[in-house]
Amino acid sequence: MEGRFPERGLPYLLLLPSIAVIALFLLYPSAEALRLSLYELSPFTGQGRFVGLANFREVLSSEIYRRSLGVSLVFALGVVVLGLSLSLGIAVLASLPLRGAGVYRTVLLWPYALSPAVAGTIWALLFDPSTGPATVLLRGVTGASPNWMMSGGYALAVTVVAAAWKILGFNIVFFLAGLQAVPRDLQEAARVDGAGAGAVFWRVTFPILSPITFFLFVMNSLYAFFEVFGLIDVMTQGGPGGATEILVYRLYQDAFIATRWGIASAQSILLFVMVGALTLLQFRLAGRRVVYG
Amino acid sequence: MTPCVSAARWTFARVVVLMLALAGLGGEAEAQAPVKITLWHAMGGARYDAITKEIAAGFNKAHPRYVLEPLYSGSYGETVTKAIAAIRAGDPPHIVQVFEVGTQTMLDSGAIIPVTDLVKPGDIDFGDYIEPILNYYQVGGKLYSMPFNSSTAIIYYNKDVFQKAGLDPDRPPATYQDVEAMGRKIVASGAARHAITFGWPSWMLEQAHAMHNRPYADRDNGRGGRATRVLFNEPFGVEVLSRWTRWAGEKLLAYGGREYAPNKAFLAGEVAMLMQSTSQVTTIEKAARFRVGTGFLPRIEGQPAGKSVIGGASLWVLRGPGRSPEELDAIVKFFKFIAQPEETAKWHMSTGYFPATRTAVALLRQQEWFLKNPNHETAFKQIQEGPDTPNTRGVLLGNFVQIRNITDSAIEKALSGRLSPKEALDEAAREANRLLDEYNRIHK
Repeated sequence: MEGRFPERGLPYLLLLPSIAVIALFLLYPSAEALRLSLYELSPFTGQGRFVGLANFREVLSSEIYRRSLGVSLVFALGVVVLGLSLSLGIAVLASLPLRGAGVYRTVLLWPYALSPAVAGTIWALLFDPSTGPATVLLRGVTGASPNWMMSGGYALAVTVVAAAWKILGFNIVFFLAGLQAVPRDLQEAARVDGAGAGAVFWRVTFPILSPITFFLFVMNSLYAFFEVFGLIDVMTQGGPGGATEILVYRLYQDAFIATRWGIASAQSILLFVMVGALTLLQFRLAGRRVVYG
Repeated sequence: MTPCVSAARWTFARVVVLMLALAGLGGEAEAQAPVKITLWHAMGGARYDAITKEIAAGFNKAHPRYVLEPLYSGSYGETVTKAIAAIRAGDPPHIVQVFEVGTQTMLDSGAIIPVTDLVKPGDIDFGDYIEPILNYYQVGGKLYSMPFNSSTAIIYYNKDVFQKAGLDPDRPPATYQDVEAMGRKIVASGAARHAITFGWPSWMLEQAHAMHNRPYADRDNGRGGRATRVLFNEPFGVEVLSRWTRWAGEKLLAYGGREYAPNKAFLAGEVAMLMQSTSQVTTIEKAARFRVGTGFLPRIEGQPAGKSVIGGASLWVLRGPGRSPEELDAIVKFFKFIAQPEETAKWHMSTGYFPATRTAVALLRQQEWFLKNPNHETAFKQIQEGPDTPNTRGVLLGNFVQIRNITDSAIEKALSGRLSPKEALDEAAREANRLLDEYNRIHK
């Protein structure tokens, strides 16, 4: 079945468009970021002075950056834990043979179809400190009047919930697909052997789901680090007092508000290295527990 | 495979030919086409309509030979950044609206044409402009940008809530002590949940410094040479932030976010008083379902008298490769257009920004506008009180956009109790001074 190209050059020619796109939009900017990270640049001319690793030193010694790193880790952990556990639970429920299960499954996917900006606006309106329905509800139930514009912890919690909600649909779809692939006879066999519902789930179903869980674990971490910019920008702009300032938002501030291109490039390199290392670590540690096939 | 490739190549060739033909056509048509100039602005909300439908459309109608294209380019901060990027790429807009915070950056950009170099004497009478406005945009006695939308901060209050709380609805708070005494009464009586809120937190800190004749940065607020150190963490700044923090602790102050977000709480009747830009007068009066009062920014007792400082933005002309004399002429015509008393007055009426010229003010008085709309006059009266010193002319800082963010953050840290006011401002000053050092290193 192996086909052969009549000419040796043709396959390369056919690959050229994708290579060109990758080179233009990935390799070139990355190389440029690496170069810029070693310069102190004038925002107007783009001319600069070579400063070696000074930008990296400046970034790593900045209190603001270190705090932002901490916020990012807490944020990512919150989104991953909340997002995965909630979506697994919902997927299990939605996979039950209910009437109208198809409708539920469709509706559950909706949040994923929203743009981050729209999702952010919805949550910002819900939790508006003076007029938000969620605020009014919380006030009625607890008596306290939480203001996420003032309380950093509360703001972080709300943004984590919003970000987890946003990716819920994505997770559910994968879990649902995974659940459908679990052989019924395995579960039945376990049940016949006297295993309870919990035992069946954790001993039989969950191990079969482990490759999907691992995949979602990695995807959700990447999402929490990179893709929540719009959400944060609409909801808190990193505030109050930097409490929700995750690394990408800090990077945006330095690059596009302060036009400190050198500093921002150094941050993007650091972010790339950190997330790369994190993903590697995930594959090393969690990847071993995954059962394939 | 081969016919497919050749078909694609054939299509490509045809597209190229077509594009070339169109480009040639465009060149020919250009001879008669109107002269186009672009204006990047940051006017959202009600101000968007005012700048597009009234100003741009009005100018285009009055001058059929020119086409002014207004383009909304995001917040003030984003607009500056986009303009910088465009300058670097060699394709800047003709005119960009830059807020007062970007003044130093624009001066150092090397990409601007000072407005007084472009406008010939007699074209526009800059002497007609109100002095505090002129003073802000003049640096070393030279006017660099075209005054356009100037504002300052005032206090808005809910007269209905004041009345319900047993206060005189015609007497706004004059001092911080008033805010506290009135505020406690309002909250205790249940007339509103909180007493006060404000937008633009760092700007309010800057306003407090100017209102009490205190410097915000060294070298005469950056007007006697580039500033090298911020001074907002000196005892005066700490005192201001301590008062605000105490209000927050007593639940008098409900912080509602940066810029215009806190308007919502005021308009919902949740908060009785709002310190905010005058640019919101029209918007707030339209949206409020209660009687709106306005007053001067409250003063801190026992502190020297200063004056509230100008905010808002002005229009900067950008140098660009291949600017034709017609384009420069169009810019001058546009500036002449907006300087007309009728246009200045109209802009004031639909937004709340200052009527920037004396003749516009006279026109408004003649129409008894201020008698019918006293809230539109408050800021105007406020800006004319108090001494004119370097401290009241507004601070010039390099990297000011980012320094504002840092100060906003510090204020939020203090209000939420994460840091003491002194700690928060010291931390912010350290970061700000680092940015100033960096800025002065880059722009020698």
